Amino acid sequence: MPGLGTSFGRGGATTAQQDLANADCILIEGSSMAEAHPVGFRWVLKAKERGATIIHVDPRFSRTSALADLWVPIRAGADLVFLGGLVRHVLENRLFFREYVLHYTNASCLVRDDFRDTEDLDGLFSGWDPERRTYETESWRYEGDDLARPLRDPTLEHPRCVFQLLRRHFTRYTPEMVEKLAGVPPDLFGRVADAFTSASGREKTAAICYALGWTQHSKGVQIIRTAAILQLLLGNVGRPGGGILALRGHASIQGSTDIPTLFDILPGYLPMPKAGTGEDDLAGYVRNHRKVAGQWSALPAYVTSLLKAWYGPHATPESDSGYRFLPQVSRDHSHFSFITEMADGHVDGFFVMGQNPAVGAQHSRLERKALARLRWLVVRDMVEIETASFWYDSPEIETGELTTANVATEVFLFPAAGHAEKEGTFTNTQRLLQWREQAVDPPGDARSEAWFIHQLAKRLRSRAAAAGDPLDEPLRALDWWYPEDEHGEPHIEAVLAEINGWRSDPAEAAAGLVHSRDAEDRPHHGPQVKGFGDLRDDGSTACGCWIYSGVLGPDGVNRARQREPSGAYAHGWGFAWPADRRILYNRASAAPDGTPWSDRKKLVWWDDTERRWTGDDVPDFVAEKPPDYVPPPDATGLAAQRGDAPFLLHEDGLGWLYVPEGLKDGPLPTHYEPLESVADNALYGRATNPAVRWFVRDDNRFAPPKDPRFPYVLTTYRLTEHHTAGGMSRFLSHLAELQPELFVEISPELAGELGVASTDWVTVSTLRGIVEARALVSRRMRPLQVDGRIVHQVAMPFHWGSAGPNRGDVVNDLIPLSGEPNVTIHEGKALLCSVTAGRRPRGRDVTEALDRLVRETPPHPEAPSTEPRPSERPGGHGHHGKTT
Amino acid sequence: MKPAGYYGLPVVKPPVWTWEIPVYFFVGGLAGMAEAIALAAFSTGAELELVRKAAWVAAAGAGVSPILLVMDLGRPARFANMLRVFKWRSAMSVGAWTLAVFGACAVPAALLLQWGEGRALHAVAALLLFGAGVLGPLLATYTGVLLAATAIPVWSAHRTLLPIHFGAAALGSAAAVLELLGSRPPALSAVGIATAIVETMIGAALEIGRASVVDRPLRTGRSGNLMRAAAVLTGPLSLALRLVGARTGGGAAFLFGALLSRFAWIDAGRCSALDPEATFASQAPP
Amino acid sequence: MIGDGIASANQRTHRFVEERTPVGFFTDPTLCIGCKACEVACKEWNGLPEDGFVFSGTSYDNTGALGASTWRHVLFLEQDQSRGPQLAGPMSGGEGEDPFRWIFLSDVCKHCEHAGCLEACPTGAIVRTEVGSVLVQDDVCNGCGYCVVSCPFGVVDRRPQPLPGAGGAFKCTFCYDRQASGLPPACAKVCPTESIQFGPLDEITARAARRVEDVRALGYADASLYDARGTSVGATRAVFLVLGSPEAYGLPADPVVPTVYLRDAWTSSLLTSLVALAGVIAAFALL
Ligand SMILES: Nc1nc2c(c(=O)[nH]1)N[C@H]1C(S)=C(S)[C@@H](COP(=O)(O)OP(=O)(O)OC[C@H]3O[C@@H](n4cnc5c(=O)[nH]c(N)nc54)[C@H](O)[C@@H]3O)O[C@H]1N2
Ligand SMILES: Nc1nc2c(c(=O)[nH]1)N[C@H]1C(S)=C(S)[C@@H](COP(=O)(O)OP(=O)(O)OC[C@H]3O[C@@H](n4cnc5c(=O)[nH]c(N)nc54)[C@H](O)[C@@H]3O)O[C@H]1N2
Ligand code: SF4
Ligand code: SF4
Ligand code: SF4
Ligand code: SF4
Ligand code: SF4
Ligand SMILES: [Mo]
Repeated sequence: MPGLGTSFGRGGATTAQQDLANADCILIEGSSMAEAHPVGFRWVLKAKERGATIIHVDPRFSRTSALADLWVPIRAGADLVFLGGLVRHVLENRLFFREYVLHYTNASCLVRDDFRDTEDLDGLFSGWDPERRTYETESWRYEGDDLARPLRDPTLEHPRCVFQLLRRHFTRYTPEMVEKLAGVPPDLFGRVADAFTSASGREKTAAICYALGWTQHSKGVQIIRTAAILQLLLGNVGRPGGGILALRGHASIQGSTDIPTLFDILPGYLPMPKAGTGEDDLAGYVRNHRKVAGQWSALPAYVTSLLKAWYGPHATPESDSGYRFLPQVSRDHSHFSFITEMADGHVDGFFVMGQNPAVGAQHSRLERKALARLRWLVVRDMVEIETASFWYDSPEIETGELTTANVATEVFLFPAAGHAEKEGTFTNTQRLLQWREQAVDPPGDARSEAWFIHQLAKRLRSRAAAAGDPLDEPLRALDWWYPEDEHGEPHIEAVLAEINGWRSDPAEAAAGLVHSRDAEDRPHHGPQVKGFGDLRDDGSTACGCWIYSGVLGPDGVNRARQREPSGAYAHGWGFAWPADRRILYNRASAAPDGTPWSDRKKLVWWDDTERRWTGDDVPDFVAEKPPDYVPPPDATGLAAQRGDAPFLLHEDGLGWLYVPEGLKDGPLPTHYEPLESVADNALYGRATNPAVRWFVRDDNRFAPPKDPRFPYVLTTYRLTEHHTAGGMSRFLSHLAELQPELFVEISPELAGELGVASTDWVTVSTLRGIVEARALVSRRMRPLQVDGRIVHQVAMPFHWGSAGPNRGDVVNDLIPLSGEPNVTIHEGKALLCSVTAGRRPRGRDVTEALDRLVRETPPHPEAPSTEPRPSERPGGHGHHGKTT
Repeated sequence: MKPAGYYGLPVVKPPVWTWEIPVYFFVGGLAGMAEAIALAAFSTGAELELVRKAAWVAAAGAGVSPILLVMDLGRPARFANMLRVFKWRSAMSVGAWTLAVFGACAVPAALLLQWGEGRALHAVAALLLFGAGVLGPLLATYTGVLLAATAIPVWSAHRTLLPIHFGAAALGSAAAVLELLGSRPPALSAVGIATAIVETMIGAALEIGRASVVDRPLRTGRSGNLMRAAAVLTGPLSLALRLVGARTGGGAAFLFGALLSRFAWIDAGRCSALDPEATFASQAPP
Repeated sequence: MIGDGIASANQRTHRFVEERTPVGFFTDPTLCIGCKACEVACKEWNGLPEDGFVFSGTSYDNTGALGASTWRHVLFLEQDQSRGPQLAGPMSGGEGEDPFRWIFLSDVCKHCEHAGCLEACPTGAIVRTEVGSVLVQDDVCNGCGYCVVSCPFGVVDRRPQPLPGAGGAFKCTFCYDRQASGLPPACAKVCPTESIQFGPLDEITARAARRVEDVRALGYADASLYDARGTSVGATRAVFLVLGSPEAYGLPADPVVPTVYLRDAWTSSLLTSLVALAGVIAAFALL
């Protein structure tokens, strides 16, 4: 999550759901926490019971709004203006936490003089390359280019210090502008501003919760950045009841970015080697990515230990410690990129495990048509989802775009074991690893993912060994040691042991050995390491994911399995990365001198007699580093950071109000309109995020701003009653009967204009697709005054598809492919649509109607006519991780 | 205007009973009152022929009734559980026992009256006849209580009227049946006329004044039409026919009306249950 | 209260059945997030059949009502008035103040002190348990349907064909089976916000009374306790906090247990019988 990653250093929620109970104000924006995280929401209610003010900013009056003290209806896609307005409010009225800002953020740092702001270049930053549609980010860096020791102006007066740049950048984000673009009246905005700021300071803290309502936008990362800036200015990060809680998705989606299923990062947010960037050897890789100061100066130890974990005995000097076996990223291989390549027939095979892209992925029509171009497809699921059944029951069969006879794809559907049928860990939204016991045996032939991958790997390796093709060398080099049980299930806790890390040499002392014998019962490795502090860059240690290190140490205790909570932060229940720290950057909960800001809000503090940091949480800091520590000039690593620098992963140890490196679309958040918008960008000359990826194709068209054919704003969301693409809910009567049909939420005003009432059929169309749904008319949807015009918003849940007992049209047929510059996430939360009474056309009429729309609609003025060459567009979760 | 209550949804549940129940109300009531007539005729020394006929009608009704009831059960095999306990606060329990005892008296009574020889057996017959004859009117009127003591607004609202209504209808029906079977003593026609008058008055009472929320289904909709049709048949029409001497016609009209009115009440109950306003009206602070 | 975790009565194991301790439910819409976990948990635990995939258009409520196969039902009220101190939506920038609120309430069998269903049941299938709840014994019920019309709250119903168990009357068992083995009711256990609170009746009623006080103090002027106290139904074991009029939730303001009608009805029945018998005898005697 680069939004949080670049601001604070780590791509994870800074806090824990339980800690929300300590907040004095909670701003929930871009999330319907009560609906999507109902269990965690109890802590919000606990805070409310204790007198906290709960604010919900959402286009819909949702189940979360129902419980909030303040509901603020907002135009989808306008959050950055709203938050920018709050930032401006804080700056102009001098409401920021001066001491915190001065010491813990980069407010005082000076930026290069060739940097130009969007205020100067009318919506562009300096370094823009119109050809490649990317930024040259050199000019964004600090004066003197030294991230470790930036030049600072403690008076905050220097015209090029971050503080002044920030002020200038947000001056025009006035309450009037907020009203104009977001549709939020000034007095309502004022209420929010007062509630939030008055709940911040020494004595009080305010928290922010967000999720997809922020991330699924063409500027999602920058929306989150704005929230980060607000929290840093108000001194709400690293303190009890403060922080930013990114509410993650699937039970272990945090885990799947920590140990990524992403193409461009390695476990622990180590960047994936990139071709043509001088990273052909480990030395080059380290040169590019190692930082002098802070946590990342230990990158060599982390990456070498990772390679050792993967390639074991083959990770030798000859193989450049195994680095030679790693592939290098040559271009964007994010989901949408390979789906478009698949659609064009450039992909042969596809594994789908725990996903249902035929329903859940954007522009699902394109996805399904792409699946039909494959030679083979492997789907592992608990039910026969659309991704496995598209070849005979997809809407394209109805429209005639696909005919079963002509779909060449060979589909292999494997029965998967569900989460209760296998053991392992979940890493939840607050970075907490929790072990899951197996409750029941999987039915029939159903097997766990681990079994499948393990068995597949074994077979592939034996083939590779036989064939001897040099291309297969990385496969042969893998240290596939995992012990397995009688059913061929790999021993999952042994995998966790590898993730925690160990001393590589089996000959080392017997103490601290855990799962130390391999499949053939030979000694495989030495004792476990205590934590990432023990990792070395000489191959003497192996570690599958450095940030998880400590979960299964030499004492053999599986901390993810612990269930004896104690203290205010339930230590002893599970294990939170890193090093069981529950509130990140918690050094900031104490003043620069190491004493708590206030008794009410104390968390960790400096114990001068013990000469160490102590408190209710594990200090997210070097335990013995005194608050007044000043690094000697030649120091490196954590020793190179001051005693009042809480953000360990940033070289300067500061919270970044301004991001000198790591973002692709600007060092400061800037409001751009959604790619499809009902309004002009009143702030700048250009409407859309310049660096965004459009996936230019005839079947992926965008409507121009204020297009009369598509007068309404469409946003999408999920229902408590269902789960995402429906594989786990639509097939279960007890859930499906609670929300049995796809519907679209419409305001009474719009319903009046359309002449529809609840339960009537309506048809929703975009340039990508046409779907029908039941109308659900309610005052929970409100027309907004935007730029002097009435704007109607409609909202649709997206859980339905063509398979299973409970069916409906696929909302994602409506949504275009697009790529936010940093994480290539689509814009599924703000687009244009038309809504008409009655059911949709059938069969061929659908495609004809679509073609007509596409023919009649002019192209989006800011969309490129051709795709910039892929090689120039590596995606970028680097160091920080993806979004949902 | 916004629908009442929660999206206008019903507050109480409509009866699940099907056609068997109204038919049972009719048959059971008729049987009960027929036995009353048998007892009256017997005790006033009327000709044995009439007594026997009435007793047979009662016995037949007593035989058919349980069958109808069992047919309506959700789990007919468990019909015997009806006599598992006796609960005087449950009108259905009281009714079940009444019907059981009534049947146990009425059937042997009819048999003995027909074929019983000798003084001893006659005494027994008389005894049984007395028992059944006394229980008969109860059997005919408890069904009114059964409906009255429920959460169905229109039924509980007419808790006093229902037993009278059902009683009168049952008595009239019994008289009519016996007449149609050929017995024409003046007493029966007197009973016929009297019950028709009572029915006319009840019908009128339900029509006078503007209907309360609760009474809507008695005046409007299908149940309302049924109710009116039944009232006309059992009331004014059969009365008129009898007065012009058309006893057969009068009796037939009454019988048909009496059957119809039982369906009308069940139907009205269903409508009433579905109307939240009615429920709120009947379950509100006085 | 919220977040007491395993210490809460909703989670703790207990001995209420052995100790014959009366228990109750307090359901509090000011804490309900409408997640329907209670509905689902109830169906799961009791193995209740699916009863219809119907899109109702009545807010998010596609369940509609309690019935033979739905023993918990979460209501979704949308009202044009404000929810206590809540500020919902635009103050100016258009029509100005326009109050609106969305209330969720999880309805359930009230387990009445004077239970219409229990009184009416001719077979004795419906009984009062050790913990004071009202239980339908499925193995005794013969499906006569009299309880159905005798519940003032329209809770119990006869399950139609072809569903499993069809023909019998069903309603909330207050998880008698779970309680007998010391477990809390499924619905209370899963409630993420403790909007449903389970516990000994006296504690529950005390807590309910206190809660009404508290929320009133917080500005919910129209909060009141719905517990049928002082009506012929008597204090119910399941009590509810309601905002606004109970009728809006489909709850009769002053519930009546139908047995109160018995006196009038039987009087009428007996007199009618007497008059009828006497009348007929007279007719035969005189004519
Ligand atoms: N029951 C249930 N729980 C789930 C899931 C599920 O499918 N079902 N999915 C899980 C997953 S995968 C995820 S990622 C999370 C997602 O959790 P959430 O992000 O909370 O879920 P969403 O409903 O997608 O979106 C949240 C809210 O964003 C609002 N919104 C839309 N556009 C905008 C906007 O432009 N600005 C603002 N401020 N708000 C906007 C929507 O109205 C919606 O209320 O939930 C997880 N939890
Ligand atoms: N319009 C719109 N579209 C969206 C979103 C939105 O807000 N709006 N949200 C987006 C988000 S955040 C997400 S995360 C995606 C989710 O979209 P997907 O991930 O494509 O959809 P899911 O239904 O979550 O797919 C998970 C599948 O895994 C199966 N499964 C469950 N457990 C296991 C297991 O242990 N093993 C295996 N092999 N399979 C298992 C389930 O049955 C299910 O079919 O949807 C995205 N799509
Ligand atoms: S489903 Fe799991 S993760 Fe989601 S709210 Fe419930 S308990 Fe939490
Ligand atoms: S609410 Fe109805 S079903 Fe429940 S106990 Fe009371 S009368 Fe019986
Ligand atoms: S239906 Fe069953 S439970 Fe209800 S009254 Fe009849 S026997 Fe009793
Ligand atoms: S107590 Fe048990 S039976 Fe009753 S509603 Fe709750 S879960 Fe269902
Ligand atoms: S589980 Fe609790 S919060 Fe969820 S709907 Fe039921 S009562 Fe409300
Ligand atoms: Mo997600």
